[in-house]
Amino acid sequence: MAISVDTPEESRDLCRKAGYTFTVLSDPKLDAIRRYDLVHHGGGPEGHDISRPAEFLVDSSGTVRWENFAEDVRVRARADEMLAVAHKIQ
Amino acid sequence: MPEPKSKALYWWGLVITVLGILSNFIYFLNVPEALVRWLPWVSLIVPIIGVLLLLAGLRSFWASVPRWRKILSAVVTVILVGLTAFSAWGFVHAREVPASAGAPKLGQKVPDFTLADTTGRSVSLTDLLSTPLANSARPKAVLLVFYRGYW
Repeated sequence: MAISVDTPEESRDLCRKAGYTFTVLSDPKLDAIRRYDLVHHGGGPEGHDISRPAEFLVDSSGTVRWENFAEDVRVRARADEMLAVAHKIQ
Repeated sequence: MPEPKSKALYWWGLVITVLGILSNFIYFLNVPEALVRWLPWVSLIVPIIGVLLLLAGLRSFWASVPRWRKILSAVVTVILVGLTAFSAWGFVHAREVPASAGAPKLGQKVPDFTLADTTGRSVSLTDLLSTPLANSARPKAVLLVFYRGYW
C-alpha cells in the first residue's frame, strides 16, 4: 500500500489513471509521515512539506523485515526488487 | 586540407553533452533497477565530460570563416553549458533528502496509523495486517510505500 500527502481525491485520480488496485492512503497532515520521520520540509512542488520516498516491508507482527530509503529521490525501490523480498517472508 | 583534430573534439563534445542531458529523462521509462541506480551519476558526469570536449574544440571554430560558424558554435556551447549546469543542479537537488534518523529500523516494530483511503474510509495498518485476503488467508506482510505525491 502507498502513502502520500495527496488528498483521497488526488489519489483516486492517480489510481484511476495508473490502474492501481492496492490501498492508497492520504496523509495531508503528515501524521504517519512524521511518526516515521520521513518529512521532507519544503520538498513539494509548491514548497509544501511532503514525504521523502521510502519503502518498508512489515510482517504480520508489525516488524520491519526490509526497508529502503532513496538517497536520490529519482532512484526508488523497483517493483521486482520489492516482490523478491516479499516472497521471502513466510 | 584535413579537418583540424579539435573540430572532431567539438562534434564529439556536442553528441556526448546532448546524450548526457537526455539521460535525465530515462527515469520516465521502465528501465532495469541496476541501470537506474547509476543514472544520477551518468546525468552528472557525462554532460561535464561533453562540455569539456566542446570547450576544447571550440577554438577550431573560433578561427573559422565564415563568421556565422564562429557565432553558432559559441551559442551552442553556451546553451549546453547552461543545460549541463541545470543537470548538475538536478543531481544535487535530488539528494536533498532528510536524514530520517528516527525512522523504524530493521527488526523494529513500526508505529500504527489510521488514514483515509481513496474513498475516504479510515484504514489502519493493523486493519491491513489483519484483514483476510481474497483467498481468506491472513496477510503475511504489508509493503508500505511512502511517496512524494502525484504531480
